[in-house]
Amino acid sequence: MSQFFSQAILIAAVAGGIRLAVPLLLAALGETYGQRSGVLNLGVDGVMLLGAFGGYFTVLELGNVWLGLVVGVGIGAILGLATAFISVTLGAEQGISGIGVYLFGLGMSDLLFQKLVGTPLPIESFPKVPLPGLSSIPVVGEMLFQHSLVVYAAFLLVPISTFVINRTTFGMNIRAVGENPEAADSVGISVARVRYATVLIGGILAGVAGAALAIDLGIFQQNLTNAQGFIAVALVYFGAWRPLGVMGGALLYGMVNSIVLQLKTLGIIPRSWSDIAAMAPAVITILALVLVARRFRQPAALAKPFVRET
Amino acid sequence: MLELRGIVKRFPGVLANDRVDFSVRPGEVHTLLGENGAGKSTLMKIVYGLYRPDDGDVLVDGRPVEIHRPTDAIALGIGMVHQHFMLVDTLTVAENVAMGMRSSRRPLTDLDVVADRIEELGERFGLPVDPHAVVWQLSVGQRQRVEILKALYREARLLILDEPTAVLTPQEADQLFDTLRAMTADGRGIIFISHKLREVLALSDRITVLRHGRVVGEVDDVGAATRESLAEMMVGRQVKLAPDKDQARPGEPRLRIRGLRVQGDRGVEAVCGVDLDVCSGEILGIAGVSGNGQRELAEAVAGLRRPSGGTVTVDGVELSTASPADTHAAGVRYISESRMREGAIGAFTVAENLLLVDHGDRRFHRRGLFDDRAIEEHCRHLVDQYQVKTPALDTPVESLSGGNIQKLIVARELSARPNVLVASQPTRGVDIGAAEYIHAQLVAERDRGTAVVVISEDLDEVLALADRIAVIYEGRIVDIVERTDANRETLGLMMAGGHPTSR
Amino acid sequence: MRKHTRTMRWLVLGAVLAIAAAACGGSDDSGGGDGGGGETFRIAIVAPSASNDLAFTQSIVDAVNRVKDERGNIEVAVTDGTFVVEDAAAAIRDYASQGYDLVIAHGSQYGGSLQEIAPEFPDTTFAWGTAADTFGLDNVYAYEAASNEGGYVMGVMGAMLSKSKVIGIIGPIEVGDAKLYVDGYAAGVEAEDPGATVNINYTGSFSDVGLASEAAQAQIAAGADVLTGTAQMVVGAVGVAKDKGVLWFGTQSNQTSLAPEIVVASQVYHWEVILDQILDQIAAGKKGGETFKIDLANDGIVIEYNDGFDLPADVKQKAEETIAGIVDGSIDAG
Ligand SMILES: Nc1ncnc2c1ncn2[C@@H]1O[C@H](COP(=O)(O)OP(=O)(O)OP(=O)(O)O)[C@@H](O)[C@H]1O
Ligand SMILES: [Mg+2]
Repeated sequence: MSQFFSQAILIAAVAGGIRLAVPLLLAALGETYGQRSGVLNLGVDGVMLLGAFGGYFTVLELGNVWLGLVVGVGIGAILGLATAFISVTLGAEQGISGIGVYLFGLGMSDLLFQKLVGTPLPIESFPKVPLPGLSSIPVVGEMLFQHSLVVYAAFLLVPISTFVINRTTFGMNIRAVGENPEAADSVGISVARVRYATVLIGGILAGVAGAALAIDLGIFQQNLTNAQGFIAVALVYFGAWRPLGVMGGALLYGMVNSIVLQLKTLGIIPRSWSDIAAMAPAVITILALVLVARRFRQPAALAKPFVRET
Repeated sequence: MLELRGIVKRFPGVLANDRVDFSVRPGEVHTLLGENGAGKSTLMKIVYGLYRPDDGDVLVDGRPVEIHRPTDAIALGIGMVHQHFMLVDTLTVAENVAMGMRSSRRPLTDLDVVADRIEELGERFGLPVDPHAVVWQLSVGQRQRVEILKALYREARLLILDEPTAVLTPQEADQLFDTLRAMTADGRGIIFISHKLREVLALSDRITVLRHGRVVGEVDDVGAATRESLAEMMVGRQVKLAPDKDQARPGEPRLRIRGLRVQGDRGVEAVCGVDLDVCSGEILGIAGVSGNGQRELAEAVAGLRRPSGGTVTVDGVELSTASPADTHAAGVRYISESRMREGAIGAFTVAENLLLVDHGDRRFHRRGLFDDRAIEEHCRHLVDQYQVKTPALDTPVESLSGGNIQKLIVARELSARPNVLVASQPTRGVDIGAAEYIHAQLVAERDRGTAVVVISEDLDEVLALADRIAVIYEGRIVDIVERTDANRETLGLMMAGGHPTSR
Repeated sequence: MRKHTRTMRWLVLGAVLAIAAAACGGSDDSGGGDGGGGETFRIAIVAPSASNDLAFTQSIVDAVNRVKDERGNIEVAVTDGTFVVEDAAAAIRDYASQGYDLVIAHGSQYGGSLQEIAPEFPDTTFAWGTAADTFGLDNVYAYEAASNEGGYVMGVMGAMLSKSKVIGIIGPIEVGDAKLYVDGYAAGVEAEDPGATVNINYTGSFSDVGLASEAAQAQIAAGADVLTGTAQMVVGAVGVAKDKGVLWFGTQSNQTSLAPEIVVASQVYHWEVILDQILDQIAAGKKGGETFKIDLANDGIVIEYNDGFDLPADVKQKAEETIAGIVDGSIDAG
């Protein structure tokens, strides 16, 4: 056990947890906007997959990781608009239509990969950018401040999102529309416009999450995300629809995963326990969800299409 | 300031407004009166842009206007307090008021500015609320204040209030009237809708009466009007405001409650040791401001809420731990106060709702299948008797007017010939004509030998119906008096927590 | 209400099209054989990951295509990516009822389904791997790989190349082919250098690329300078090895293309060796009831060195000696 507390291992565990948390954090923050406005988007994983392939393919062809990220934004935006059209304009049942988007993303990303690439080829990853000053703090610097810009940006989005949701008129409209769309409509807030905006944000962040994942791993494979988009949706519940809570959930999930990996590697978790230990992140996160999120109520209009009566 | 000319609005099978003329002048309270389904709410929704008229003109300050949506109405200085509040429960008062308004610090909110203005308006019009309180923490009366503040904040010169007092305690209603008077004194116009004739007479400057969507009368000199004259205009015939009834001939106690304790939704004890006996052939009125344990008491008797202590016995059978089905089988029927939520299924038809509880009854079956003819006959009979205004038996209940849904449920429960009947606010939101009929039916139930409990905030109703009156306050029965010994003043005092002076 | 269902129908249609197209994509690459003349022999493959996963699934698809090129007059259909067992079962049943001569269920997790389906189609031959059990059915062949043998050889090489004397192995779940390989590799290290540390990490997933990549990070943090791993999710780990400049041994397919700088060698499966035997038996009228194994001795398992990697001569010589020893039985690969 003492080996685990050696400096190198601890640093690797924390840094690894952060890396694992980032795609989840990005996707879950995006989903938070949508859910706060009353739209449940279960298609996140599909958007992530297409964003991942788009980002991967761009880097493979053009060799520029930032262009890859931009393509992730674009794909996310297109799919976000499509999702908004389905769930806001058409007022479709959100749970099922989300699964439709997921299946589309799963199938389409694989199809494109087979047709355009075939065998997985490695690509370049994001450069690590040690933050000046901070990164030279012993131990902590290496854990927290020697990541890529995407990692910093993802965490920066947390306070930004909190601010947007709580302090801006846009955020107030999001909350109103998610709780009581009739009331919002009656004072002239366009429910549709607010929901389009939030679902668009959700799509973009999911696309970015996927692209960031693929570029960070430097590879693409069928079903690369391995259902991370669904975990992201669960994290929104875990985080009680608050960006800070969502971040807590993503970090918890990432950290438990990373620590379990370290403990397995060192043999502290015996091999016979390996499969059970693999469930630890999910189990611990669900337990936390039960303990924490039960005290919060979900947005009252979540997953309910809004149609004004005439 | 507002003038409606020849407004027509049709719904499938109903002419809700038929060439209605109506106007409001600055500084007056103009009341709309009419039976359930007369078209009052429809007319107001047209003014507020929620419905579009099929014909007719709307003029504001003499100019014809098109009101397509609520924001158009707001821009014209029209505000509306809906029958169901349009508030976001999880936002603060200030946020609810600011919602949809341009912020002075866009894209950021300017809630401190809004809060100051709310306090200012609250002071001026007697509407005290904490701008930073979250709406779900507020009482119904406070929420209504927020709705009014929302309209005032938007500089409404004309305020529409659709049955605002239906959900208020008598004290809150009095406060509301003070506010409305302050507003008219300020030169604003008010459209007021209510079924409570006493308050209509006290508040109105003018009264317009609607029947079947048409204007059937206007009262300009309210001082000369009486409850009786108004009721007659509404219904088109003489109405008895108190039911004829003989002296009660109470028999054996059928419902016996001993030491009953019931937890409320928030986990605090809502009923704290109540003893009551209700005999066959009598009506026990329970008077009290709502929220003093009436709902929990009624639900415990109906088997919908398990008591934490004490017993409920019906005809000698202990029921405090029985299931709702067993309680039902024992002949206990309950007309809930939140009929819209608990009593009816909106998407079901009128006939289906009428049959909801008794669909197992032999009368409605033939050879294992529903007997459509018998069902239709039964439903048609109830709808006619209780004057439920519905285009057809297969109309979904959600498109009926509020009062008509209530009549429907009362009809269903009374038709089952119960042994014990608990009726909570049986005529809330119901018009005079139908209230008269429901009252007569409750008395008839009594005379059939049923033990009847009527729970009501409306003292007029309790005094008209009850043979004995129990006053409930904070989960305890303060006193029980014979109808003949009761008077409005002492009852009102006890309802507000004062101690009984008699005895 | 009607509007919703209509939307849903379009969505589902779109999704189905996309998935169907992706599935066809797989079979287009490898299928479409119309040998012309004589009766065409029809082979179907149902496999869990992508046909070009550089791992388990690719190994069988490549092998069947090699057999096809050699023998001719064979038609091949592939349904890949059926990581959901129910989907695989549906595909297996589909191919059988379409009259395919040989249906290959390439995944040990498909055994339960096969046991149900095979008796319903007595005229079809099923091959199930990697496994050693034919359920006593006479139309089921089982096949497996002695992946421990290649693992052992590469373990010996890894132990010689490691300077830190810490070697990391990444696996999916401790079953079947993966377990054989991991244990063989560990045994090879142990035989060459009993003092070396072997850290074994089963991530718990065949498909989680991100987790495999973090497992590689963990291994390196624990001091490993030689890594290996098995199953399709290791593509992520190879990337990390390349970044950190540690050595990598591949298995199931040749993984040199993933990181030419650091891949030392790969154990490659040539299932065609046993496929040939199975086809011969079918031609002779025997439809199953036997278990086959590829190994170093029958050339079903081949160690392919990365020509671009500067492998010290002594290491290569030791590897060849080890192969010879396993083939002649003087070395027990566990
Ligand atoms: N959305 C609708 N669709 C169909 N019919 C409607 C709709 N809204 C109202 N109606 C019908 O129009 C008529 C007038 O209804 P309205 O709600 O205006 O009555 P009201 O005077 O407000 O009654 P109450 O006192 O019961 O509230 C009723 O017959 C009602 O059934
Ligand atoms: Mg109404």
